[in-house]
Amino acid sequence: MLEIERIRVSYGAAPAISEVSIRIGPGELACVVGPNGAGKTTLINAIAGLHSIEAGALRLDGRDLSRLPRHAFCGEGIAIVPEGRRLFAGMNVRENLELGSYRRAARARRTESLDRVCEVFPILRERLEQPAGTLSGGEQQMLAIGRALMAQPRLLLLDEPSLGLAPAMVLAVFKVIKEINAGGVAVLLVEQNAALALEIAARAYVLEEGRIAAEGSPEALLAQPHIRRAYLG
Amino acid sequence: MALPSLTLLGQSLLSGIFIGALYGLLGLGLSLSWGMLRQINLAHFALAFLGAYLTYQLAGAGMDPLATLAVIVPCFFALGALMHWLLARFSVSAFNSLLVTFGLTAIIEALIQWIWTADFRRMESAYGEVKFRVGALYVALPELLTLAMALALSLAVWAWLRHTHTGKAMRAIAEDAPIAAAFGVNVRRLSLLLSGLSAAFAGVAGLALALSYTLAPGQIYAWLGVVFAAVMLGGLGNPLGPLVAGIVIGVSEALTMAFTTPAWAPLVSFSLLIVVLLARPGRI
Repeated sequence: MLEIERIRVSYGAAPAISEVSIRIGPGELACVVGPNGAGKTTLINAIAGLHSIEAGALRLDGRDLSRLPRHAFCGEGIAIVPEGRRLFAGMNVRENLELGSYRRAARARRTESLDRVCEVFPILRERLEQPAGTLSGGEQQMLAIGRALMAQPRLLLLDEPSLGLAPAMVLAVFKVIKEINAGGVAVLLVEQNAALALEIAARAYVLEEGRIAAEGSPEALLAQPHIRRAYLG
Repeated sequence: MALPSLTLLGQSLLSGIFIGALYGLLGLGLSLSWGMLRQINLAHFALAFLGAYLTYQLAGAGMDPLATLAVIVPCFFALGALMHWLLARFSVSAFNSLLVTFGLTAIIEALIQWIWTADFRRMESAYGEVKFRVGALYVALPELLTLAMALALSLAVWAWLRHTHTGKAMRAIAEDAPIAAAFGVNVRRLSLLLSGLSAAFAGVAGLALALSYTLAPGQIYAWLGVVFAAVMLGGLGNPLGPLVAGIVIGVSEALTMAFTTPAWAPLVSFSLLIVVLLARPGRI
């Protein structure tokens, strides 16, 4: 469903990623692993429309998105759980979730989506009227995922969802990600925690210094000793 | 130091509230574009004076001063949107917007001076003559109108931001515009709307200025310091902040004048500002 062909994204004159090509099939769970500063966040942000793409193509079900205005990506069925969560801290939980369903089509099903999100994350229902900034780290991550689900995405982008969470919370979040994916939503997961990501992904990419260094099934990648050494220690 | 009489005290309190309302009205648009769009629009004051002179001109041609809003508000909305478009087009940063709009202030001041000269201008209107007597105190209609407009606009913006779909999206833009856009908010369009509104509020403040004050181009700068103080005290982007802080400053100034001499009044607003900045630096 998602096809990225040789895209380049730069900050000023320096390219952050170049010649990056990845594919995600419908309903597939893919992950991108790699060291800090490899360009993982840049890649995922470009897919969400947060960065403009300088060269290459970004196609969703055959439609080229690379020239769309930034606010139009969501309407194509893409939603992001950004690095650092980036919640609207001064707004309450309900308002954050509602903003996830800002566009017209998602708004029409807002009540239904809100119920679903509260089923997945029951703690959010108790916190609905509380400012997002006052939630704990785990709750904030749930809200960030909930906000993205409110957009009714076909492709969910997750940037470092395990960052800063207690181990038990990390497992809970990954379980939810698997469930969302089982519901038919394609997922692209960017993770530092390669062991966890490779465990749940069907397809994996290794990004190093802005380029794809390796790709394939997690098993195939883990069979390569240097990748095993670099990412699983 | 002799204690002032109760009547004088009451009258000071009232005039403090009314001048505070004008601080709030002048600060509303400034606070919104600063807090939500990170554009510090110094030209806001020049726009308000341009609005005041236009009100003066139109009223001189026989229009009712309040009816001039029907002309001034849409024109200023368009002007504000255009200014924002230009600032965004050239990606002007918050600090640079201060410099650019300072330049714009000088241009508008020169324009005003060219059209209306540097002479003092005073709008003659039926409103200016009306005074109400409440007990021993007097309330002038222009001041009452200023308070009503400041209250109405501040509350309307507050309700818009709190309860409407676009208002909430506007708050999301203020917190994290790229993420708001990633969820489908058309940031550019809403920013134009907010800038247009801010400038339209400057136009309304212009009407309030023309109703109560004698106009001269140099007066543009007289309001700057104290309104900035009100905007910062009120919390950037908070629609009720400038009015509340404006009234606090206005009343403190008026009481200072009643108890000491008028020369001490300006000290009050900035002392308040410094105290708040020291106590709660996170507000700015």
